Amino acid sequence: MAIRFVRTPIVSSQRALTARIIGFVLALAIGAIVLGIAGFDPLHLGTQIIVKSLGSRFGLEDLGLLYTPLLLTGLAVTVMAKMGLWNIGADGQFYLGAFVTTAIGLFIKGPEPFMLILCFFAGAAGGALWILVPTLARAYAKVDEIITTLLLNFVALLLVYYVATGPWRDRVSGTTASTGRVPYKMPEFFGSLHWGFVIALVAPILFGLALRYTRWGYEVRLSGSNPDAAHYAGIPVRRRMISIMLLSGAIAGVAGMLEVAGTVHRLQGGISNNYGYLGVMVAVLARGSPIGVIAGAFLMALILNAGIILQTQGLTTSAVLALTGLMMLFTAVADQFAHYRIVRTQAATS
Amino acid sequence: MTDQAAPPTTDRPVIALRGIGKVFPGVIANADVDFDLRAGEIHALLGENGAGKSTLMNILTGIYRPDSGQILMDGAAKTFASPVEAIAAGIGMVHQHFKLVRAFSVAENVHLGWKDTPRLASKSVLEARTRALAERYGLAVRPEARIDELSAGEQQRVEILRVLARQARVLILDEPTAVLTPAEARTLFTALRAFKAAGNSVIFISHKLDEVLEISDRVTVLRGGRKVVTEPTANCTTTKLAQLMVGREMVLGGLREAMKPRTEPGRVVLALQKVSATDDRGRAGLIDADLPVRAGEILGIAGVAGNGQRELSEILTGIRKPTSGKVLIEGVPVDNPSPDIFIEVGVGHIPEDRIKSGIAPALSISDNAVLRAYAEPPIAQGVLFKPGAADKLAQQIADDAEVTIPSLSTPMRNLSGGNQQRLVARREMRIAKLAIIAAYPSRGLDVGAISTLLHYLIDLRNSGVAVVLISEELSELFDVTDRIAVMFKGRVMGLYETKDADLETIGLLMGGQTKATSASEAA
Repeated sequence: MAIRFVRTPIVSSQRALTARIIGFVLALAIGAIVLGIAGFDPLHLGTQIIVKSLGSRFGLEDLGLLYTPLLLTGLAVTVMAKMGLWNIGADGQFYLGAFVTTAIGLFIKGPEPFMLILCFFAGAAGGALWILVPTLARAYAKVDEIITTLLLNFVALLLVYYVATGPWRDRVSGTTASTGRVPYKMPEFFGSLHWGFVIALVAPILFGLALRYTRWGYEVRLSGSNPDAAHYAGIPVRRRMISIMLLSGAIAGVAGMLEVAGTVHRLQGGISNNYGYLGVMVAVLARGSPIGVIAGAFLMALILNAGIILQTQGLTTSAVLALTGLMMLFTAVADQFAHYRIVRTQAATS
Repeated sequence: MTDQAAPPTTDRPVIALRGIGKVFPGVIANADVDFDLRAGEIHALLGENGAGKSTLMNILTGIYRPDSGQILMDGAAKTFASPVEAIAAGIGMVHQHFKLVRAFSVAENVHLGWKDTPRLASKSVLEARTRALAERYGLAVRPEARIDELSAGEQQRVEILRVLARQARVLILDEPTAVLTPAEARTLFTALRAFKAAGNSVIFISHKLDEVLEISDRVTVLRGGRKVVTEPTANCTTTKLAQLMVGREMVLGGLREAMKPRTEPGRVVLALQKVSATDDRGRAGLIDADLPVRAGEILGIAGVAGNGQRELSEILTGIRKPTSGKVLIEGVPVDNPSPDIFIEVGVGHIPEDRIKSGIAPALSISDNAVLRAYAEPPIAQGVLFKPGAADKLAQQIADDAEVTIPSLSTPMRNLSGGNQQRLVARREMRIAKLAIIAAYPSRGLDVGAISTLLHYLIDLRNSGVAVVLISEELSELFDVTDRIAVMFKGRVMGLYETKDADLETIGLLMGGQTKATSASEAA
């Protein structure tokens, strides 16, 4: 008897999920062993994480506030992945959404509901504007969107640092790294959790429905799956690509708008909290499914929240990052393993 | 034909399959198949799509495990758990879709995953080894070339060299000539005969009957997963083999009779005037082509593949834009041709490379089947797309194409190549109100399906649709066309009434020569 691994090209979603759960548990186990060796009590830490994030009202509020931007940046990346493109610049588009919202908040006066709606669309426009150049470069000159979107992140970051520490610096409280308070506030419905959460939760569902139930969705699916076949079908592939990329940027921009108007209420250098990059991870976890984004973003929010809780328990940031990385690594490994079957074979006999 | 020395055939089988059975959910792929391969023979394996040829060979090479039966090699029972074990035992297969790394050189591909590859080998060592192997087996390859740059025929030689280099005694070829030009096919046949002469064996999977008759020593016919017969090729004729394959009286007869006689030439619905176009690499693909396409007739385009047929079919459907010249629909020049204009007026298109441009393999059968109808009611309603209506139409197209499908949400790639082709053909015929451009529609289909397909085209012609049939099979063109044009090096070499044309003239034109004089175009 011999045992060998045989690769299967297509994996059922049930099998993929099982593999991921096993990977997740293994990552937790290894994390626990290392923490145990380092002198922590893993069981106590685990209980703390669960109790503090899911067992209390404050925990749930914090979780929801982390969940909101992750849903949107994860969706932004997934939207573009439907066209076979990678948006690595959701972080930059997030910053632009936040930047535009702050500008409106600081310099335009008006009734709050109206101003919030204005901020929403302006934030979306800001995000879309930030991906406009990569979009045109990709559509007309085939410039790799991964590079262009990524590089614009640093431009956006520096822009926000500049205004937050310079011209828009908060002169009232005297802080040096953030702007003054934005007066328009997303209404809250559960402690500090605002309605932006609901918007973020509904967005992936809407996008999923649009893909399946609209002509535009069909054209996007076909263009993403085989551009040659889409061209053959008379679909303006380039226009669909442009619309998808701008939509992706707009969604990330809305995430930035909600972060300012709903959660942080001012613009500061680190406001994106890497949500754009984490959105890439969410999209990978979601495996291209808009509905999968809801699950992927939840897991990511839980991990981030656990990180914060672990820091209060005396772990360093690097240890927390290492744990997060461990989980991601095991998820990726599990995804690969799901492709393999173990087959027993008889050795060649005569 | 029989100038070869008698092959050193012995009666002892190198490989014997005994009672092989394999069941997939809902399908009996193989049942009780016996098969013998002798040393020094080329053994053709013949059968319709889905007859179980590929399954049988996949079992032999360890890709599948049989549910029942036995594999004997040199009289001893063997089981191969993977193709790697099969090749170690001397059985190598060249698949229809090549399994080469496109970004690697020929030498690298030959040495990939081979235990004889030197551990620390420089590029020049690998290339020298490859050159030696190529000489030894009489297969001309360029060791330093990237796979990307090679034609299908050259890629196939690399695949064969890979297998032979691993000292295969048994070479299995799945539809090897499907991607080859006639000249390349002849080169392949020469190499196979040399391989056989050295006492090795070949299993040759095909549905091209004339090829089987030309190259093989014996033929085994499969039908519905079972073996029908094994016969010496010398006792076979095309008609007999075709009957054995489809199990019914043949087949490609009755085509001419089905064509309604024309009273007068139909109106010109599509026309090219001095059209030139570049190919994908920016070279001249089509040069000053003049071609009128008339309603109610089948216009055949003869020629060796790669002489501008792809560019012609793409110009006629708006996929490619001409660099100069005019494209006319119903006598009106099209300013800026694009596919949607041609779809709008009812031009169907069965593309040359279905998987690359006719379907999205990862999307569902339903999504693929409605590709031509998604923008109109009942599937579209305003901006909405209705999956329910799409499924209904998809089911109808599948029924018309006589393709049984597991479920409409199954990815298109799970269907066999033949079934994909049938679905695409039906989908395109549905919208062909004005014309249909069919590029090699019978490629990869079995005799029964080709007959059905040609009858569809004739029905369309009889109802007044213009049909352009691009094919390399001259017999097929002479069977069903009203007129024949010949393409050579991007030019339309001549346009003949089929009834006035003879095979010799057309054959010479395909090689760029006219009957009376050697071509003045050859410059």
